[in-house]
Amino acid sequence: MYNSTKPGMRESATFDRNVIHEIQRAAETGIYDIRGWGAKRSLPSFDDLVFLGASMSRYPLEGYREKCATDVVLGDRFASEPLHLKIPITIAGMSFGALSAQAKEALGRGATLMGTSTTTGDGGMTSEERMHSQMLVYQVLPSRYGFNPDDLRRADAIEVVLGQGAKPGGGGMLLGRKISDRVAEMRTLPKGIDQRSACRHPDWTGPDDLAIKIRELREVTDWKKPIYVKVGASRTYYDTALAVKSGADVIVVDGMQGGTGATQEVFIEHVGIPTLPALRQAVEALEELGMHRKVQLIISGGIRSGADVAKALAMGADAVSIGTAALIALGCNHPKWQADYAKLGTAAGFFDDYQDGTDPAGISTQDEALASRLDPVEGGRLLANYLRVLTLETQTLARACGKSHVHHLEPEDLVALTIEAAAMAKVPLAGTNWIPGSNASM
Amino acid sequence: MSAGSRIQIMKEVGPPAEVIERFNVREMTGTHAIGHTRMATESAVTTSGSHPFSTGADLCLVHNGSLSNHNSLRRTLRREGIHFETENDSEVAAGYITSRLNRGDALKEALERSLDDLDGFFTFAVGTGDGFAVLRDRIACKPAVMAETEDYVAMASEYRSLVSLPGIAEAKIWEPEPATVYSWSLADAS
Amino acid sequence: MHREIRTWDLSAADVRALNQSLHDLKPGMEDTHWRILSPEGAHAIACGLMVPVTVEIDGHVGYYCAGMNKDATVIIYGNAGVGVAENLMSGMVHVQGNASQSAGASGHGGLLVIDGDASARCGISMKGISIVVKGSVGHMSAFMAQAGDLVVCGDAGEALGDSIYEARIFVRGKVQDLGADCIEMELPADEREELAALLERAESSARPEDFRRYGSARELYNFHIDHAGKY
Repeated sequence: MYNSTKPGMRESATFDRNVIHEIQRAAETGIYDIRGWGAKRSLPSFDDLVFLGASMSRYPLEGYREKCATDVVLGDRFASEPLHLKIPITIAGMSFGALSAQAKEALGRGATLMGTSTTTGDGGMTSEERMHSQMLVYQVLPSRYGFNPDDLRRADAIEVVLGQGAKPGGGGMLLGRKISDRVAEMRTLPKGIDQRSACRHPDWTGPDDLAIKIRELREVTDWKKPIYVKVGASRTYYDTALAVKSGADVIVVDGMQGGTGATQEVFIEHVGIPTLPALRQAVEALEELGMHRKVQLIISGGIRSGADVAKALAMGADAVSIGTAALIALGCNHPKWQADYAKLGTAAGFFDDYQDGTDPAGISTQDEALASRLDPVEGGRLLANYLRVLTLETQTLARACGKSHVHHLEPEDLVALTIEAAAMAKVPLAGTNWIPGSNASM
Repeated sequence: MSAGSRIQIMKEVGPPAEVIERFNVREMTGTHAIGHTRMATESAVTTSGSHPFSTGADLCLVHNGSLSNHNSLRRTLRREGIHFETENDSEVAAGYITSRLNRGDALKEALERSLDDLDGFFTFAVGTGDGFAVLRDRIACKPAVMAETEDYVAMASEYRSLVSLPGIAEAKIWEPEPATVYSWSLADAS
Repeated sequence: MHREIRTWDLSAADVRALNQSLHDLKPGMEDTHWRILSPEGAHAIACGLMVPVTVEIDGHVGYYCAGMNKDATVIIYGNAGVGVAENLMSGMVHVQGNASQSAGASGHGGLLVIDGDASARCGISMKGISIVVKGSVGHMSAFMAQAGDLVVCGDAGEALGDSIYEARIFVRGKVQDLGADCIEMELPADEREELAALLERAESSARPEDFRRYGSARELYNFHIDHAGKY
């Protein structure tokens, strides 16, 4: 909040400058504001949880010498060829179209260097990503853009997408500036149009029919590949239970901090719940069904550091997924492009106009000149470094809690710093036994 | 679980084969029957949460789909004196039909009104004392299939559920249109 | 070419085993003609095929029959459940009875022929498939249809071609109403010839000149505030 030193100048909390700007923009253009990134406002999050490190009653593990394992298996419920990841961090689905081909290749290279997976997006599988990503998860979305059984068969896992955290209930969006020849051809759309996407799948609605659709996907791929079901965080408790009953091997939950390539601002900020309560609800549903760790859970939406990863695992996730953070690692919003951001009327750290395709970092664009600013090999190295740091940080925290495997982290290793976080995560407020909303006293 | 003289409602939690054993369904006889296996969408898996829901004397309802305004409707109907035992959206649909019937609507009118008052996706099969009715919402994403022979008319969510019916191979198989009430009664048949 | 028919009774062996056997076929192998008995509404029969095999199915099938097929020919002597030939890539699927919802959904190529009626959402999200329905189609057919041809010899239900992109719709009977951005247009001579060819492939005796052509008005291709009411 801007506090003027001039007495008498007072900004309204209700109609502050951002709100004024938006109202006047709406009046001038007659169209809602569309942008990229996830929810930007401050929300209860992993920052409000801290670990109880070892002391008298718990003993830590030595760094480096005493092993803290990070491997995870995804999809062994029904699939004959589950995924074996070396680290519990995967790269989330982001479309070729929203991102450049170079960016998709960089993500594949980086993930492969660290022994983890990437995910296609709402545009289909590119050859670059398949070639450079050792483990590739293939999304089945409402639009079915570019979807075909050959790519399905050469994928390592399949992800049926109901929604994403930025817009639970919304479909994909890609504006004309980014529908290049190649994107248009992959999606079977006319070049340069503003894509309208379906928000429901064309051939099934509801978990009972999803169960039949999952069976079809298994039949086409001879039951080899794990099937994930991805939902945007909303009624997560019920969604998780239904995904299990529909026959999913893995559930992916994306909180409202999860990013998007292009969505209406009101959708991003006002629909869906934060990652923190979504994660707890998902784990509760799995535990009640006796399926925790049997149907694996991947959580995404605002994962930034090894602290976030460790906390997510402590709350019961099997792995996390990163999207926005991966792009930032590749150079999105890097200060070195400050002059270009200024020309766009923004600044490094504020740029979220992915939908325009004018990204100075060359990541969320189809413009050839801009896209060539990202060298995929260098990008792969950057991502691998970042993933390595995330992993090391996670291990550091896990060792401090006395764990020899990151999956041995548990909710009791955590306490909350705020009442909201305590209620949402169902961990006690630090220094107390109090979990708001819970009748049990410990 | 039912009210009236002609319909008996049995519910249980468990796999269908076990439930059929438990209630000795094989020994039963009658003129019509409705069965339902529930996949709970927004409330718990309990016996009371299972379908069919009794909507009044000799009336019951089963539902495939998910209503999106059931909470508001439940509050309105409670104020009218309709009693609910669960948080289940389908129970609200049943309560709504009861409320309309209490106001003097025939079943067909009550179902037609539901197209405007209920929001969400639904296929309903409503059992009456001497027959049944079928309704799909306007968008009709949830499935419904009918089978008719000289001897019977049958309805299911999937054809697969009908395959063991006698004469099914020669039956006329068709799908009900959206937003249209179909009803059959023994009175028509004679 | 060895043309013995391989018979498979689904009451004796399950769909998984059938599909695996079909998937194990390689081009050039001899088992090119199959007959499936007792389908009894089972789901995902003969889906994900990859070779030019002919599969005849004796009875009614459940959901997603012949889904995601390439090169194969599938003939269903009965009705088909939801999503028959969904995401078809090439080859042919022939339903002699009626088809349930979402027939040919998101199909990229090949030909789907339905002798009876198709239900709602026929050709939804189609991306290049050709669909010929000798009966009528239900509401929301060709919804968001991106490419390909939908030919309806009977009538079309509500909201035909809503949000259509570049797909072509040909209807001989009545159209209940048209969806957003879908309009009637001229049927030029070259398209009439293509329609004739499709009708012939589908073994329909309907005459191309009896059909009306529908397609996109292209007013929703780029967002314009004056058209906001159509969204």
